[in-house]
Amino acid sequence: MSAVVSETGTIGTRTAVAAGSLVKVYGKGDTAVRALDGVSVSFEAGKFTAIMGPSGSGKSTLMHCLAGLDDVDSGTVHIGSQEITGLSDKELTKLRRDRVGFVFQAFNLLPTLTAQQNVLLGLELAGRKPDQEWFDTIVDVLGLRDRLRHKPTELSGGQQQRVACARALVSRPDVVFADEPTGNLDSRSGAEVLDFLRMSVRKLGQTVIMVTHDPNAASYADRVVLLADGHLAGEIHNPTADSVLSALKNLGA
Amino acid sequence: MLRTILAGLRARTARLVLSSVAIALGVAFVSGTMVLGDGLRESVTDEFSKSSRGVDVSVGVDHQNSDAEGIPRGVAEQISTVQGVAGTDVRGYLHVALLGGEGKARPAVVAPLAKTESLREFDVIEGRYPTAANEIAVDERTATTSKLGIGGQVELLNEQQEKRSFTVVGTYRQGTSLLSLSGSDHVVLLPESLEQLDPGVLYDSVVVAGDGSVGQEALVAAITSALGSGGYRIETGAALVQQDLAFVEQNIGDITTVLLGFAFIALVVSSMVIYNTFTILVAQRTRELALLRCVGAGRGQVFRSVIAEALAMGLFASLVGLFGGIGVSAALQWGLARSTGGEADVRIPVEPVTVIAAFAVGVLVTLVAAVLPALRATRVPPIAALRSQLDSNDDVARTGRLRVAFALLLLVGGVALAVLGTGQKGEQAMLISGAGCMLVLIGVLVLGPLLVGPINRVLGVVPRALLGVPAELAAGNASRNPRRTAATTSALLIGVTIVSTVTVLASSGKETANAQVDAEFPADYNVTSSLYDQVLPQDLVTQLDDLPEVEEVSAAAYLSVELQDEQFAYVTAVEGDAIGGLVNPTIVAGTLDSLADDEVVLSESAARRTGLKIGDTYEVRGSSRADAADAPAPTKPLTVVAFYEGEAFYDGLVALPTARALKPELERGYERVMVKLADGVDAAAGRAAVQRVTDPSPIAVLDSAAETKAQLSKQVDQLLGFMWALIGLAVLIALFGIANTLSLSVLERTRESALLRALGLTRGQLRLMLVVESILMALMGAAVGLVLGIGFSWVLTTALSSDNIPLTFAVPYGQIGTMLVAAVLAAVLAAALPARRAARTSVVAGMAEG
Ligand SMILES: Nc1ncnc2c1ncn2[C@@H]1O[C@H](COP(=O)(O)OP(=O)(O)OP(=O)(O)O)[C@@H](O)[C@H]1O
Ligand SMILES: [Mg+2]
Repeated sequence: MSAVVSETGTIGTRTAVAAGSLVKVYGKGDTAVRALDGVSVSFEAGKFTAIMGPSGSGKSTLMHCLAGLDDVDSGTVHIGSQEITGLSDKELTKLRRDRVGFVFQAFNLLPTLTAQQNVLLGLELAGRKPDQEWFDTIVDVLGLRDRLRHKPTELSGGQQQRVACARALVSRPDVVFADEPTGNLDSRSGAEVLDFLRMSVRKLGQTVIMVTHDPNAASYADRVVLLADGHLAGEIHNPTADSVLSALKNLGA
Repeated sequence: MLRTILAGLRARTARLVLSSVAIALGVAFVSGTMVLGDGLRESVTDEFSKSSRGVDVSVGVDHQNSDAEGIPRGVAEQISTVQGVAGTDVRGYLHVALLGGEGKARPAVVAPLAKTESLREFDVIEGRYPTAANEIAVDERTATTSKLGIGGQVELLNEQQEKRSFTVVGTYRQGTSLLSLSGSDHVVLLPESLEQLDPGVLYDSVVVAGDGSVGQEALVAAITSALGSGGYRIETGAALVQQDLAFVEQNIGDITTVLLGFAFIALVVSSMVIYNTFTILVAQRTRELALLRCVGAGRGQVFRSVIAEALAMGLFASLVGLFGGIGVSAALQWGLARSTGGEADVRIPVEPVTVIAAFAVGVLVTLVAAVLPALRATRVPPIAALRSQLDSNDDVARTGRLRVAFALLLLVGGVALAVLGTGQKGEQAMLISGAGCMLVLIGVLVLGPLLVGPINRVLGVVPRALLGVPAELAAGNASRNPRRTAATTSALLIGVTIVSTVTVLASSGKETANAQVDAEFPADYNVTSSLYDQVLPQDLVTQLDDLPEVEEVSAAAYLSVELQDEQFAYVTAVEGDAIGGLVNPTIVAGTLDSLADDEVVLSESAARRTGLKIGDTYEVRGSSRADAADAPAPTKPLTVVAFYEGEAFYDGLVALPTARALKPELERGYERVMVKLADGVDAAAGRAAVQRVTDPSPIAVLDSAAETKAQLSKQVDQLLGFMWALIGLAVLIALFGIANTLSLSVLERTRESALLRALGLTRGQLRLMLVVESILMALMGAAVGLVLGIGFSWVLTTALSSDNIPLTFAVPYGQIGTMLVAAVLAAVLAAALPARRAARTSVVAGMAEG
């Protein structure tokens, strides 16, 4: 795996995702909410970045806009060198299918499919053949080998989230977005998922952007981006649970 | 709690509208069928009552105490002098041949015109009633079929072949009576003119109108004493009306039973759809109900709120459905009248029982459908309900062993009964096999949830191969909740089973009739007499044989003979050398090349009945001439040479000379002439040539086998069309049930759809997925229904088939294919709205949905 480590070093300077002056307004007139109010931020490839901030600060909105799940009112989003603002729904769908991975807080899996089918779903939609070696690596690292034939209802919450992680990574996406992936898990299961995400960045060279509330979860990241009221409110490199906590206190959260 | 209910109603408009429509459609079907039945009854009663209108007393022959065959007109005159009588008229009819615009004789019925206006049972449509001896009025249907108009000339032929000419002065519409139902042509003349056609005519009855001075009972008494004792049956008009009504009841009873049968099917199908919709609805609300309980609502309160909501919805939808049903019934009557070419007589009587049935279906079924899931919902501890992941397999059927055992019992019993029935005869066979089929159907329905998986896997193969991932997902969705899918598709299954059973039976009936026509008519054309008691002249055969276009002509006659030991048989007589050509019996024993003068061929069943064997010779007794009834009947010894199968030639076949020896009247001519055209002769030219010979004869009617078949098919198709229209409604409701389930599932799976979209499923693929899911569900119901329907009709044709009438089992692949294609198209349509809705929801909004 040492080769991989050195590889991450070489691409460490590349930008995976970038937002320029993003504005997102919900509603109209008196009730209008500026969920994002001119956010400019970029995310390095091969890095694990956490987005934090008080409830309602615009974290999920930012992530949705970055991932092409939602359209923006103004500003630009780039994934790699491609600008995704202004793409049609079809192009965005194709982009998500080929270049983006997702882990959501809950309801990550299709109940009708087995764990293995869930993992491979994105690839099948894209009509791509899975890389068997890569698939085996991920499955083994996540300890899912003996759970592949199970349906989601037969898996624990932590196992379900690990299946979701496997699915997000199996297509080798440019970037993985995770919105509170550990929000529903106990601390032990949460730690397992976070360990894996960090490992996928450090050892496998993935790029992960994670929204979280939990300072402890944020401490797994290389960098924390702080949001408040739709504005960028600072960032922390090599965060620890304490440094994140005090930064959040300063934001008044 | 009321405010919560109202808020809930508002918040769930889409779901409520869906289930309301399901209820309304079901109610519409049930009430529509009932209104249709009552409407038909009312119109038939009205028609029948035309014959008793204005009648205060009716005088007929008392057949129990009198040998008189009818009443002479003198009796009417005698009655007219009785005190209190305003008018009397005779009623009855005479069979004649009618020569209309086409110069062809048709059998017709002549009735005497009532002179007392209030006693006329017909309504003038155009023109007027005859007032002079040479005037005639014709029934409107007769006017159309015989191309007669006012001012036209009509000739009537009596039994003595004497012609009399009349001028048409009006057309009228008959009330429905036994005569009008027979479909004969119908005309009215003054009684005097009628008596010129048959001087000895006797009437069925004398009808009397009173002058109002005495009651009907008193009038009966007066007439009874005036006519003296015995021989007459004298009744009041009121009694006549009662008899008419009883007669209507007896005769329309069958139609009402059939319609009630449809109403029952409607009830079952609608109940299933309503129940299914509501079950899904409440299941989806389990979490909401649990939340209500967490914030302090009692179990009873929650339960009552569900029931109150169901009640409100049921009441509202029933009302809508009732009016819809009345509309459906009116539309059906209009369509029926149009398709039979009659005047649209739309009646929409709404009986109390219809209203009760409508609300019983709408409200009760909805309530029952709500109670069970509501009970289930309130029994779950609130916290558990809140935590459960409702949009997954919460309700997956763990189909119990009891269910399987029960289903197997039904299936085995059903098959046993069906097999048992095929060994029986006639109505009994039909009843036993029919009951067996019913059990099998119920068994399949009970087994439904277990069948969903395997059937879905088989059906899913093609779309999966063609459409990839979206189809795969659709197949998974279609079988994720087997109980729900089974409930959704079973309504369609029932509808399709019935439709296909009826359709295959009809097609088998048509095929059987056609086969019979083929057996009877190997000829290109048949010339028959339009009048049953008059034969075709001998020279017609010679003239036809002389035509260059004609290759072969064979005459046929029919006669009744007495075999030994008082056994009577109805046999066909043909030219001996026509055997193997135009006469083609299927020989099962003995040999037959040509039929000699002293030979006879018997049908298998006649042989069995008489015990005669091949080679037996016996003395056959014919009948003497009608004008020499006292002379001894002619006899002739005949030898049995062969047996044939089927009924095409009745009990036996003899040569024409044999027939003439046994029935001297046949010297005058034949009852049928079969014509075979020479090879290479154009059908139109051949027909024209034959027609040149037959046209001058007033009684010769030319029929082609093809025309006879077409006529038969048309009758069957008309009946089938009516059935399709009625069951079509059930199928429509069933398809709506699919749309409903799909819509509710889409709502339930909003998050899942959003997840799929996030993972890279395009909008089009999402729509495709739902369309495939809908098609799979529709095909599940349709395919199983078709298999059952075809199987049932096979059982029923086998059960009804006998040696005498072997039924051909014929599957109308065209119509079956049409049904399948229609099911697929309807499924696409059913998926349209839910698919649109699902695709429109944005990914982010979908993810946010609870
Ligand atoms: N669909 C919407 N319509 C209207 N307002 C919205 C919508 N979605 C989000 N908002 C508003 O936008 C702001 C940002 O919301 P967002 O969900 O991004 O917050 P968040 O940081 O993810 O909060 P949390 O930590 O609670 O998840 C909030 O004020 C929210 O009320
Ligand atoms: Mg959020």
